[in-house]
Amino acid sequence: MSSTVQTAPAPTEVQQQVRRMRLSRGVNELGLLAAIVVLYLVLGTQAGGFLTGSNQLGILRDAAQIGIAAWGMTLVIIAGDIDISIGPAVAFGSVMVAKAATDWGLGIPLAVVLTLVIGTAIGAFAGFLRAQYNVPAFIATLGVYSALRGLAQFISNALPVPLPESRFFDFLAGEVAGVPTPAVVMIVLLAVFLVIALKTPYGRAVYALGGNARAAELAGIPVKRIRISLFAVNGLLAAITGVLLAARLGSGNGGSAMGLEFDVIAAVVIGGTALAGGSGSILATALGVIFITLIGNGLVLMGVNQFLQDVVRGVIIVLAVLINVLLGRRRRLTS
Amino acid sequence: MGSLNDQRKVWGAGSEHGSDPVAQTRAVVRRYPGVLALDHVDFEMHAGEVRALLGKNGAGKSTLIRLLSGVEKPDEGTVAIGGTVLTGGGSREASRLGVATVYQELSLVPQLSVAENYHLGALPVGRGGLVRTGWMKDSAEAALAKLGVRVDPNAPVGALPVAEQQMVEIARALQGSPKLLILDEPTSSLAAAEVDVVLQAVNRIAAAGVGIIYVSHRLGEIRQIAHSASVMRDGRLVETVSTSGASSDDIVALMLGTAADATVSMSHQSPAPATSRPVALAVRGLSVPPKVREVSFDLHEGEILGIAGVRGAGRTELLRAIAGLLPPAAGTLTLFGEQLRRWSIRGMIRRGVGLTPEERKTDGIVPLLGVDENIVLADRSTVRRGPLLSSRLQRGAARKLVSALSIRTPDVTVPVGALSGGNQQKAVIARWLHRGSRVLLLDEPTRGVDVQAKAQIYELVRKLADDGVSILFVSSELEELPLVCSRVVVLREGAITAELTGDNITESAIFAATLADGTGSAAPSTTGESV
Repeated sequence: MSSTVQTAPAPTEVQQQVRRMRLSRGVNELGLLAAIVVLYLVLGTQAGGFLTGSNQLGILRDAAQIGIAAWGMTLVIIAGDIDISIGPAVAFGSVMVAKAATDWGLGIPLAVVLTLVIGTAIGAFAGFLRAQYNVPAFIATLGVYSALRGLAQFISNALPVPLPESRFFDFLAGEVAGVPTPAVVMIVLLAVFLVIALKTPYGRAVYALGGNARAAELAGIPVKRIRISLFAVNGLLAAITGVLLAARLGSGNGGSAMGLEFDVIAAVVIGGTALAGGSGSILATALGVIFITLIGNGLVLMGVNQFLQDVVRGVIIVLAVLINVLLGRRRRLTS
Repeated sequence: MGSLNDQRKVWGAGSEHGSDPVAQTRAVVRRYPGVLALDHVDFEMHAGEVRALLGKNGAGKSTLIRLLSGVEKPDEGTVAIGGTVLTGGGSREASRLGVATVYQELSLVPQLSVAENYHLGALPVGRGGLVRTGWMKDSAEAALAKLGVRVDPNAPVGALPVAEQQMVEIARALQGSPKLLILDEPTSSLAAAEVDVVLQAVNRIAAAGVGIIYVSHRLGEIRQIAHSASVMRDGRLVETVSTSGASSDDIVALMLGTAADATVSMSHQSPAPATSRPVALAVRGLSVPPKVREVSFDLHEGEILGIAGVRGAGRTELLRAIAGLLPPAAGTLTLFGEQLRRWSIRGMIRRGVGLTPEERKTDGIVPLLGVDENIVLADRSTVRRGPLLSSRLQRGAARKLVSALSIRTPDVTVPVGALSGGNQQKAVIARWLHRGSRVLLLDEPTRGVDVQAKAQIYELVRKLADDGVSILFVSSELEELPLVCSRVVVLREGAITAELTGDNITESAIFAATLADGTGSAAPSTTGESV
């Protein structure tokens, strides 16, 4: 912030408060970066095979599963809402694309488009319940959560639905210039969402309505429409993740992506986005995604019991959020 | 009202047994930075007495109440409750000595029942640690019945009319059998018809020997229940008068002091009446029950039209209805010649109407966003390059307004929540200037703003009017209306009851018109068709 204004110098307490706010925001991201470095040092020395190229590419691939949905989730949470339906939405997307491409005979392009459209529509529906009728987002997406998981299992008879042979799906499961395709998608979307969040009227309106919905409404921001669109985008991102997952597994699977919403929300919150809305950063979420993925990868490599992995992840995530809350308490405006 | 008179006799009998006064202050002084809030105030009242406390905003009423209820300590002098001097033990000490205060804002939990609210914080617990629900309901019902209110103790408080909620609050305050009950504008949020419930209860409480301090702006109801009124002005207790002996004019004169009209005439170099210019906004028959009733007026281009009225008179609702935030039950707007029957907030903004809300923090600013983003919030079309926002253009646009409005901020990217109230207010006004709004609805724009910022806001408003912007200026601070407005309409109980123009815009004239007399005959109903 090198720019200064030619107005009279303001009271120093304002300046101090501003400095404090900016500092603690930076502290959060630096802390996360430091934690990632520490994880690399620890896992690099303790977990065999962690630093190999193939494992690092694998980490990128795993990160994509969380990251793509996490970008949209960050905006949803900045707006002061939440979407817990990610896991089932991804599973539903994977089944949907497989079914449409095979049994329903729509052909691959149409199957993919249909999957994305329906994913978007379902998200928009949840957003509509939230925006129009003030159904709490948690409840609206809890309903979607249950319905989509059930629907995915029902359509697929709880069996994997194999994808047809196709160069397109091979491409999605493969690599672009040595980088896993899902990771490329994630990175491209990261750039898109960074621009949306920081540079578009839409993105800034999301911050405004999350920070003070009444003020945003008074300023003429279409609060309802934006709320609906945020959930619609999240539905779209989950559907994209579902298609990528189906391509990776070679089949659509109604039981896949169990607990994915946990990782996605955890990544956002670890990134420092306040659940109360109004503040947050996509870039910090990206750090959160790396953090979560590294922990998952490390626990596997170190041979930790699969059930205990969940325990460790749970503890680490709550701790990270606790630190964030304590920092945030200091950060909060008191004036 | 026959029964009320009987009760007054009881009150009269009680006060003759005079013992220690229930409340007494001796030469109390209270200073705030830059303000002498209380200047050697001697105040005394006895058991069973109902004392009205009158004065303009900032006269020192609230400070006196805070001292009596122990919330604050005097800088000099003593406060005694029932003959015992407060030693600075806070509100707890005062409440132990028998002071109960009911503030304007209700502190009830709307979802809980009447009985639970009555016992809030100290639910009656029986054997086994369970709440004694039966007893709880009976006692709440009985306590309310004593005040003359019959309410189902099972009903959620939020479902009751406001007057009955007020009674639950009062009943709760009476639980500790206080000697002194302070009621801070208990009727300001009530419709006229509901006021009687509260007045009856006040009479009953006084009849039981409790001293009551009654703060209100409604002279009519003060006459009905209070025998005497202590008038405050500029931190001093000017006089305590008998309400039957003094006329409304006398009381108004006491509140304003003799200097009032002098300051007004001095400041009254206000712009020439703009009523000859074209009408920017015509409001006809606008009703938002129960707060706004058939309001009609014209706002001319470049005019600053003041809207006066006590809190609860419907000013905020009127502005919100015009802005498209509250759907009106009836009425039309004509905005720059375009007649509207239905309008939305976004439509009104597009047509050039901007509202700065009374509650700046909850409705006005987005505290975490920068000053620049708050300023461009209502119109980002001029700060874009293609589809993307340009931080440079955004900062540039903000800087222009920051210096035009002298908003004090170290940098335009500073979160607006870090600024002082006055600067936040200017940022909210700047938002509409950036938008190019031609009609501004300013709801208490100087509330919570320091003196210097106030002067700057007045100047800004006048300058905007000179540039042709039409402004509705709502204010509770009577002295500022003559300073900025070329015309003032007075809202009382949701309807326009008076209109003042030119030299008639004086503090005392506005003040007299805003105070409801309760007789219904006082002020002539003017306006409708505007001049």
